[in-house]
Amino acid sequence: MSTEAIPAERPKRNYNALFGLTLLALLVLLWVILSVATPSFASANNISNLLRQGSMIAILAVGQTFVIITGGIDLSVGAVVGFATVIVAMLINAGVPIFLAILITLLVGVAIGTFHGFGIVRMGLPPFIITLATLTSLRGIGLLMTNGNSISINNDAFQLFSRSSFLGIPNLFWMVILVGIPAYIFLHHSRWGRYLFSVGSNAEASRLSGVNVQRTIYMAYTLSGLCAAFVGVLLASRIGIGNPTQAEGWELQAIASSVIGGTSLFGAVGSVHGPLLGAFILATINNGANLLNVNAFWQRIITGVLIIVIVYFDGLRRRGK
Amino acid sequence: MTSTAQELHPAPTLEPGRTILELKGLEKRYPGTHALKPVNLAFKASEIHAIVGENGAGKSTLIKLLTGVMPRTSGDVIWEGKPAALATPHEAMALGINAVHQEVVLCRHLTVAANMFLGEEDSRFGILQQRAMVREAQKIIDDLGFDLPAHVVLGDLTIGQQQLIAAARATVRGTKFLIFDEPTAYLTRKEADQLFTLIRRLKGEGVTIIYISHRMEEVFELADRVSVLRDGTLVGTRNIAETNDAELVKMMINRSIEQVYHKEHFTPGATLLEARNLSGKGFENVSMTVRAGEIVGLYGLIGAGRSEFVTTLYGRHRKSAGQILWEGKAVQVNSEHDAIRLGMALAPESRRDQGLCLNLPVGLNLNLPIYKRISSNLLISSAQEKTEADRQIANLRIKTPTRNALASSLSGGNQQKIVIGKWLAHGAKLFIFDEPTVGVDVGTKAEIYRLFSALLSNGAGIILISSYLPEVYELADTLHVFRRGKLVATHGFHTADHEEILTQALAEKQEKPGGQI
Repeated sequence: MSTEAIPAERPKRNYNALFGLTLLALLVLLWVILSVATPSFASANNISNLLRQGSMIAILAVGQTFVIITGGIDLSVGAVVGFATVIVAMLINAGVPIFLAILITLLVGVAIGTFHGFGIVRMGLPPFIITLATLTSLRGIGLLMTNGNSISINNDAFQLFSRSSFLGIPNLFWMVILVGIPAYIFLHHSRWGRYLFSVGSNAEASRLSGVNVQRTIYMAYTLSGLCAAFVGVLLASRIGIGNPTQAEGWELQAIASSVIGGTSLFGAVGSVHGPLLGAFILATINNGANLLNVNAFWQRIITGVLIIVIVYFDGLRRRGK
Repeated sequence: MTSTAQELHPAPTLEPGRTILELKGLEKRYPGTHALKPVNLAFKASEIHAIVGENGAGKSTLIKLLTGVMPRTSGDVIWEGKPAALATPHEAMALGINAVHQEVVLCRHLTVAANMFLGEEDSRFGILQQRAMVREAQKIIDDLGFDLPAHVVLGDLTIGQQQLIAAARATVRGTKFLIFDEPTAYLTRKEADQLFTLIRRLKGEGVTIIYISHRMEEVFELADRVSVLRDGTLVGTRNIAETNDAELVKMMINRSIEQVYHKEHFTPGATLLEARNLSGKGFENVSMTVRAGEIVGLYGLIGAGRSEFVTTLYGRHRKSAGQILWEGKAVQVNSEHDAIRLGMALAPESRRDQGLCLNLPVGLNLNLPIYKRISSNLLISSAQEKTEADRQIANLRIKTPTRNALASSLSGGNQQKIVIGKWLAHGAKLFIFDEPTVGVDVGTKAEIYRLFSALLSNGAGIILISSYLPEVYELADTLHVFRRGKLVATHGFHTADHEEILTQALAEKQEKPGGQI
């Protein structure tokens, strides 16, 4: 007598792609409006500038997304960027070959991420706490190392990189592609990516299914640290100095980009293309607001409102209303 | 504001013996299950009415309906002569219906007094009268004869003491109808005695008590009348003086066993797993073997240590003593990973908490244990991922629109099929099923049992944990009975009857001949 009542479930298959398209449409819409509203927006110069502005946050947001998918958060990424500018600047000024200097800086990022994994897995600290602690201490360590001064990088080739373009597209944006494609394959086409989702969804069920939960958490934070250190290298190249107080607040921009891109702070929901689009939407708003002479204070308010609106509508749709 | 001692003694509006609450055709259906079939029952003012029945008999559903936690499907509830909607917990409480749950649902970080008055705090001009509340709470606790301080943080008390506080809390709220849901599960005998004193006293003050318990001796010690539920049906109500445990047990289990238990007997093969004097958190000194081709059933009440035992076998928890042998060799199982590598698979007790990634697709859930196999180096073969998922969906007849639907969108039975199905492609030798048919409809149950046979015929062994006696009774080749962390009895297939097994799992007194504690 008991009949199996299967709710007629609408297929949610292409939800991610659909949401991505919506974001892309929003981005294009912003571009069209700004092109009409200001003469300078559509200029090649401004577009390159915009791509440069968005690129670094975009890469940070990708690393951040890996962490958020596991149900965690990485507040340290801004500080890691600043710290990495110091490391790479010191190494280059000490005569270390650029390639090696970059590699070492990236390894420092990996080490910081591994430390976060250690704090979470072994010491049982909440991700919020351990990454908040490194956020403040890394800035301190950087200031100690530099005595609070900026280090000018004496290497023109290193700085030239971030100012140059390839095929008319700024090198910094190529770096987004360089990070984005492997990140996409990793997240959506490797078992490690699947494990990130499963741990974020239900760590206990994953564990009982034979997933190495601890290793998965280490991996997420290591990748976030790696992305942040890489952004630090790019930033050092762009501004030509190493300074531990750089990239103040970038962690929040990275989290905002990720969330605008459809990542759920509860874990298990996210993509690579979403945060990338999110980062460029934020960059476009800032860029456009500058061109329209909107007070810089307003830009922050607009960003805040945008986060609320986008996440609210995303949540509505997810609940299937 | 109720911080006066008088309110401890609620004034009943009805003299004893009159009907206070009447159920007329009360019924509850969930998608896929008929949890409570139309029940007609009248509770009298100031009686202690025990309700007994096996797990899944409909007791918790009844409580949920009476306390307004869930809406009923049909039927009427007549409260003091007037129909009551009981749509929200608030409405139930306003009428004077309260429940003390098995698990304490209070704020562990607040003080005892703060918990007692939670939601009804005494405040003057918006300032909490903390000392007055502690004094008041202490007065109530002393008055009830509990030797407990009111100013300490609730979490510092034992679970049993917290239970007493929960009971005391219910009494200060003008309660006329109080439901106790297996309140003594975590209590010591002394605490239980204190609770019984409280219950008798409430009865004396005109409160109607519904007492739900697995323990027959408590029912006979406390209750005036007893009702038996079985498979969502009210089997009958007896005056306690006119019945005995034998009759009650018979009423509890004498069901029409539908032809769902698909059982094939295979000749047992080699020993797969042996536990020798294994001890760990929640169980001690358990020894058993599992052979290929046999189902080893573990029966007992919830909390008897069966789940703890199998999760320890599976490496989720550390053993404190004893040995595990796999195919005759002593092994260390330090993690789930070790267990899976040996060839064990566990379908855990709680789908929601342990079994499924609910907000992820069905396909991902099914493939989770085998991603290593279906990916070459780093990349997943998406063709294989599709094939494997679709194969399990087809084989197990999982009703889902596509493999990309979220696991949360499926019904309980289909979710359970995922929990089981994810191990089928993996190819384990020993399958541990912990309560595999809880919240699963009859049709799916039968499918799951047929699946057991298929696994056995392929040479696998099965450990089946169930709190539902007919299930283990009809399926297990060897049946072990657990009580309070110990393996207290072992039976072959149908070598003991239901009464004997149930008594071994429930009662203290029957074991005197055996000499166990």
